[in-house]
Formats: sequence, C-alpha cells, structure tokens
Amino acid sequence: MTAATVQPPEPAPERHSCEAIAWLDEVPPEEAVARGGAKMGRLAELLASGVQVPQGFAVTVDAYRRHCRESGLDPRIDEVLAGLGPEPTDAEVETASATIRELFTGTPISEHLTARLTEAYEELCLRAVDVNVPVAVRSSATGEDAADASFAGIFDTYLGVSGIERVLDSLRRCWGSLFTARALAYRLRRGISHHDMPIAVGVIELIHARASGVAFSVHPVTGKRDRIVLETSWGWGEAIVQGLVDPDHIEVGKADGRVLRYDVAHKKVVSAFDFAVGAVTEIEMPAKLADRRVLDDEQIGAIAAAVTAIEEHYGHPVDVEWVIGRHRRAGDPVCIVQTRPVTTAEPEPAMSTAPAYDPVALAQKYLFSGKPIPGR
Amino acid sequence: MANVVPVDAYSTGEWYPGYKPEFFDMPWIVDPAGPFRPGDENQFWFLDFHWSRGLTPLGSTLWSGDGYCWGTQHAAESLPLPPGRGVTARFAGTHLYGSALPETDPREIEARAGRIATNLPHFLTNYRTIWESGRDELENTWSYFRGIDFTQARGDELPNLLGQARRYHKRAMEIHFGVMYPMLANFLGFYGACADMGINPNEIGKFLQGEDTKIMETDRKLYELALTARAAGLEGVFETHEGGQLRDALARHGGAASVWLTEFDDFLQIYGYRAEATCDVGVPSWMEDNTIPLDLVKTFLQRRDSHDFEHAARNAMAERQEAIENARAGLTREEQAVFDAGLASNQEANFPWWQDDHNYYIDLKVMLPLRWGCQELANRVKADRQDDMLYLFWPELRDVATGDKPYDGELRSLVDARRQYFDHWHDRRSEMPKVLGTVPEAVEDPILIEIFGLNPQSIKAVQNPEAAEQTTISGVAAAKGTARGIARVLQSSDELHRLEPGSILVCESTSPNWTPAFGKIAGAVCDGGGMLSHAAIVGREYGVPTVTATGVATLSIGDGDEIEVDGTAGIVTVLGRAAAAPAAVASAPEVPA
Repeated sequence: MTAATVQPPEPAPERHSCEAIAWLDEVPPEEAVARGGAKMGRLAELLASGVQVPQGFAVTVDAYRRHCRESGLDPRIDEVLAGLGPEPTDAEVETASATIRELFTGTPISEHLTARLTEAYEELCLRAVDVNVPVAVRSSATGEDAADASFAGIFDTYLGVSGIERVLDSLRRCWGSLFTARALAYRLRRGISHHDMPIAVGVIELIHARASGVAFSVHPVTGKRDRIVLETSWGWGEAIVQGLVDPDHIEVGKADGRVLRYDVAHKKVVSAFDFAVGAVTEIEMPAKLADRRVLDDEQIGAIAAAVTAIEEHYGHPVDVEWVIGRHRRAGDPVCIVQTRPVTTAEPEPAMSTAPAYDPVALAQKYLFSGKPIPGR
Repeated sequence: MANVVPVDAYSTGEWYPGYKPEFFDMPWIVDPAGPFRPGDENQFWFLDFHWSRGLTPLGSTLWSGDGYCWGTQHAAESLPLPPGRGVTARFAGTHLYGSALPETDPREIEARAGRIATNLPHFLTNYRTIWESGRDELENTWSYFRGIDFTQARGDELPNLLGQARRYHKRAMEIHFGVMYPMLANFLGFYGACADMGINPNEIGKFLQGEDTKIMETDRKLYELALTARAAGLEGVFETHEGGQLRDALARHGGAASVWLTEFDDFLQIYGYRAEATCDVGVPSWMEDNTIPLDLVKTFLQRRDSHDFEHAARNAMAERQEAIENARAGLTREEQAVFDAGLASNQEANFPWWQDDHNYYIDLKVMLPLRWGCQELANRVKADRQDDMLYLFWPELRDVATGDKPYDGELRSLVDARRQYFDHWHDRRSEMPKVLGTVPEAVEDPILIEIFGLNPQSIKAVQNPEAAEQTTISGVAAAKGTARGIARVLQSSDELHRLEPGSILVCESTSPNWTPAFGKIAGAVCDGGGMLSHAAIVGREYGVPTVTATGVATLSIGDGDEIEVDGTAGIVTVLGRAAAAPAAVASAPEVPA
C-alpha cells in the first residue's frame, strides 16, 4: 500500500472537531467565541492561555443553525413569533415561549448530528476514562458582552447529565432556552431577531466538586480594584449563583495575596450530586458542614492566582466561577468553569501620583461633603 | 420635611433683669451671640452640655462673645472650613445653645477649599511648634497673672487688669480653636477613610489612646495623696466628713493630718488652678474651694481595690497596639499605605490626647484671672457676696471698677434679681429642649460632630417625643463591657458626691473634673460626646463600660432607676424604674433568728 510508504515521521494529532463540534483544546482562540458562544469560547481562550479548565466541547452555533434549518424548526418558530402583536402582553409572551420550547424538545436531532455528538461524547468518556461520564450541559449564548451580562443565568444549564440520550435531551432544552419568556421579551423590546443571536451549547466534564464559588477581580459593590472577592460554599456552585445559599465571603489583597477577611456564613443549602436522579440538585446542608469554613489559605491562594491570571490575560476586571475538585491536592491549580468581563466596574482612578495619605482630600471627602461620615 | 422646634418661648426680648442689647456689643466676625431672637428657628440649635449649671451675666456674655463665637468663627475663617464659618451662640434663659454657621456660596466654598489645601498640610507639618508656641504664650500670660497680687493692685490698675484678663481669655480661645479645627479635620478625615476601608469605627479611637496627659497626671497625684492619707491613718477622718468640712476636720485632727494638708497644699499650687467647669468665670478653682479635690481623695479611699494607673496605662497601650494590628490585617497593601501614613499623622497631631491635655492649659483656668479681679472688686465695693460682680454685665463691671458708677442700691438689687433669675433657670435645666429650630438629618461642623456627638442617630433620638418613656437607649459604644447598677442622674459636677461606688453615672456630658468619679462608678451614660469625648476616653482608660451620644439619656433615665450599660453594643436598658423600687425594698428580707 502506497500509504504505508509515505507515513509521516510524526503522526499529526488526531482531531475530533468538525463543523458541529468545537473541542476546547482544538478550536483556535480567535474563533472560539464565534463558534462556541461566549461561555465556551472564553473557556477555550483560558485554556490556550494556560488556565486549568474542564475537558469538553461546544456544540457550535453552526450546528444549532443547521438543526433549526433542516428540521423545519425555523418556519415554525417564525410562525409562533408572527402571532405575537407589536406589543404583546406578558401572558402572550409566556405562551409563545412555552410553545417554542416544546417545539425544540419535540424535534429530533438529525442522524448526522446525532452521530457527531455521540462520537464526541464517547471521546469525552475516553478522555475521562469513564463510562457514561457525567457532564455539565451549558447554554453558551452569542452576542455582545453587555447582552451576555444581561442574559446571565437565564439560559439553561444541566449539571451531572450522564449517557448520550440524556445529553441530547439536555442539548435540545438548552437550545430551546434561547426562547425563554425573559429572552423573548428582551429581544422584542430591543427589536433584535433571534437569528442574530444564535446559541451554542457546551458539553464539559463534570468536576466532582468539594467546594465551588465565584470570584471577582474587583469588589462587586465598592469597585475597589486592590482586592479579589470570593464567595464560596460546599459542593457545586449552582446554589451560590442562584442565590439559594448565603456563602462564605472572603477578600484577598491583590498585591500580596493576603487574606484580608474571611466571614464564615451559615450555609443552609448545598448543590450536591443526586445519584438516584442523575443530576446535581439542591438539598439541605448537612449540619456539620453548615458553619464550617469552606476554604483554607492554600485554596484561596490558588483561586486568587487563577483570577489574577485571567484578569491579566483579558486586561480588564473579570468575574469567574471556579470549582475545587475532590481529588485536587495542595499546589494543583483550581478548575475554572466560567469567566465574564465585569462591565459595571468604574474606570481605574489615576492614583499613581496622589500621596498615600492626603488629609485635605479626605477631609473634603468625608467631612465637608454634606454627607454623614461613614460609621457615624 | 425638616422638623422645626419653635424658639418663640425664648425669643421674647426678655433676658436677665436690666439687660440691654448693647451688653453684647463686642467685636464679632460672622454672627454675634445673644439671647434667642425671632427668626432663629430657621437654624439648628443644640443645648450645649458644657454649661449645664447655666451662666451668669458676665460669664454668658464674655464666654459666648469672646470665647465661643469669636474663637470658632476666627478659626473657621483662618483655616478655613470650606462649608462652615464656625459656631454661634444663643441663650434660652441662662442656658447656652450653639449652632453651626454654614457657608453656602459655592464660589466661596471653592475658594476656601483652595486655602485649606495649603493651610491644613502646613499646620500638620508644623503642628508641634504651632501648638506648643500657642500654649507657651498662654502660659506666659498665666505666669503674669500669677505674679500679680490683686489685693495690692492700685484702684486705677484694677480696670486695666480686668481688661487684660478678658483679653487673655479671648486670645486663649483663638489659640484653642485655631488648633482644634485643623486637628479635627485631620482626625475626622482619617476616621472616614478608616470606616470606608472597613475598619470597625469603634476601634478607631483606640489607635490614638494611651498617651499621658496633664489631666491624667493630676488624677495620679490625687491618688498618691489618697494613699498617703491612708498610710497616715487618716481614712477615718475622710470617712466621717464630707468634702466641705474636710479641711477644717483635718486641721482640727492635727499631727499627721496637718502634715498631709501641707502636702495637699503643695499639690494645689501646681494642679489646683483649675475650675470645676469649662471657661466659666462663675465657678471656683480647686485652690479657692477645696471641696472637690478633698471629695476626690475621699472617693479614692472608698475604693477597696486599689487602682493601678500604670497598669491601666499599659493596658491602654496594649489595646491600642492590638487594635492597630487587627485593623491593618484586614487592609490591602495599598490601604495599609494610606492607613499607616494617616495613623502617623494622627499620632503626631493626636486629637484625643490634645482634647484632654489642653484643658489643663486653657479651659479649666483661663477664666480665673477675671474671677480674681471680680472678687477683689467685690471686696473693695463691699459687695454683699464675693461673687456679686459676676452678675454684672461687662460695661457695668467696667464702670464699677473705674468708679464711674457706684455699686449702690440700684446695682445691688439688680444683682439680687439676676441671682434669682439664674437660680430659676438653673432649676429648669432638665426641662430644656435638647434641640431647637430647624433640625437637620446630619451636621457638617467638625466640633458638632466630634465634641457634641451630633450624628444622624442622636439627632433623631432627641426629637423622639416619647424619649422620657424609652427604656432602650442607643448611642456610641465608647468603652466596652457591660455593667448593671443604680443610675445617678447628675446635672453638673457639683453633684459628684451623690455617686456611690458601683452606681452608674448618667449626665449630659463629662469634663476632666469628672475623671476621678470613674474610679468608683460601674458604668457611664452621656447625652453628648463621641468616641473621643472625655467620658469615652476616661471610660476606656478606667475600664468603665460607657455609652455616649445617646441624645436623651438624662431624659429617659430617672435618678435611682436600675439600668444596664452595654458599652460594647452601645445600648442602655432601663431594667426598673426608681418609683417601683421602694416597694421591692419595702419587703425587707427576713432576718434569721
């Protein structure tokens, strides 16, 4: 066979991506957001810059578009939307949303795409050395950062999905979540077509979380940039993101990584993996964990290091969702599952020339401002 | 809508008998002092706790005109305060109300902001020289007066001496407020920065505590005198006599008591030129009236456990170090740079320290030369009482001193009537509204904020119409710890003898002459004062749970009530009313046979 005679000295690494699938470790960073949506695209960018992220792939924007086109969903969606008048009531929007989402769950995925997805999921199982590896199926919307921020948390995410059938099912639900009532109302108000903001979906290995949380490279309330703010609880991060649990609050000085404060909260709820259901669900926190401090200083340091690296990579403040896996050892990096730019932060004040302590400025600010002095 | 408390009842045009508006004719800067006048309800007035006895005609006019108004307005113009022009004063009867004078012209405020930007750093850089040269100037003048035997002054010299004494007081107040405003501006700016950096505001006062002052030194000397008295076996004499009788009793006792009295007189030569009140010509010094210092010695002797001043000072310093370290640990490196520099600046120009120490050099003795002159004049004109001249207004006093006007029946009966007027208003002190006029939510003048404890909460508290029925009163957590005891509600330091060991002091505010009382009380509660008020500082030094800036404690708490002071949380609770107490006491415990 001629092929045998032209064998290259080093075989090119086997590629698993295709038009419908973009693996995080294969997609060129510059194309990542366009193909995989903001959430998955940024994970690919982080991976390329050396940050630890879970293994996984995006079901691309193209796959979504092709599915809508070839399954006949497009005209049926348009028909439902056309039924809405110029100023529909909330109830009409709710009804249209439910109808479209049912269309998505009831429309089978083509054989071709099913085959691609099955291959990709099997590849992920192989990489994880697991059968029916549990994954997180996350919506990854496209559009500008501002839109991304205002849509934060309204598209579906499924944690702990196991087996290709359930993955496909979750994928269809994520696609359908592009038409939640809130998203529909937002687009109607802004006059944006859903065709202009197609959705990708991420399928990533579920990290078995000992603790999870969010981190901000700028104080989310005061806007101070000299610190990193962490919020954390046991288990997965859903209970924190959805505001179901009062998390531990930690502040870390950026310049020297010192823990400035650690407020241990009474954590009543935990997002835990329910093996009977096959998903991460919210249950009552075991009493012995509720008041226990979640993170030690080493773990805080690892999170702060990752957040600092991500902020430096993007050159602007970020918020980050992170997970500490059950098998993480001291010294290992923490796993980053999501990052977003912080768009609300005020521009960095030009402090470099001001003296450290300026009694005149402070008297003006606190005493002569017409407002009560803080703390009085 | 701002709450307006009418001033009509006090702006009637009536004041001390024989009062004429020209008695307040003295130079003024922005707003002159005087009795309340129509239109004053447009400003915010607060009852000034420093003069809870009320003020005599001479005391009220000279203090408010030359002292308070001149001093604060002079300082507010020379620093300047950008949005403020100092403080002015009004009288409701004999009681002084203060009000901050706002600067409202935006262009002026901006220009003044430019000036303070130069002047405040200059002051802070040269703080030590500025304060010490001012203090030394005043001490020189003080030495001048000490060198004068008023009884030997020629008749034609006395008017001039009175004038010099008045100028000494006025100059002292220029120096006083000239130092106080910039120190407060620095301190409160630092305070705001600390609070903004997340430092617990209750900790901020601790960063600057523990420095020795002349007032603390006086207390230590008194305590040493108590130990000497105990060693000399004089405890019995102190136990069986009140302060007013003690000197005679000790003299009669003879022997060791006579030796002790000599030591006591030596003490008075150094520390006894202090009056029982701030800048009040109507109040005698310890030298003139030994009652207070002898009662203080008696108080120290009543304490079973000894008070270790050095131990207390070490504790204060240790607490200060711990507070600083705890605060720094929670700051980023950038914040630490601000904190460290701000702390260094405030430890150098240490407002809490100055706020105690300066009383020795200024407030407690600055009216004494004028008082001596008045007493000597009273002797010469054969007045009925030695303090008669204090019931004259300045132009009248000057005319009597020069002989232009005889101290005859007309003036004598006027003095009698004014004495009655003073007594009448003295008895009404507890009914005086804490605030008058248009009450704001917050104030900006640093003196009002820090010295009077006028924060949004206390301003709200004083407007509560049900304040007298309140059983939970909140304020500034000034000194940590919790104490229960019987409340003693005192109008002024004249009543200090009513404090029993273990009782809880409730008053409008304290000043340095109240300090030794902290050696025997279990807790303290004040209407006014902030973190750095006298009661707060001394409460911390003595480990006495203290709550300040309650606004209404003297209204809400009755004498004899059983109360609890939580100086950690800043809460005072009335556990039982005095009226109910006798019933409980009446059921006397059965005596075992």
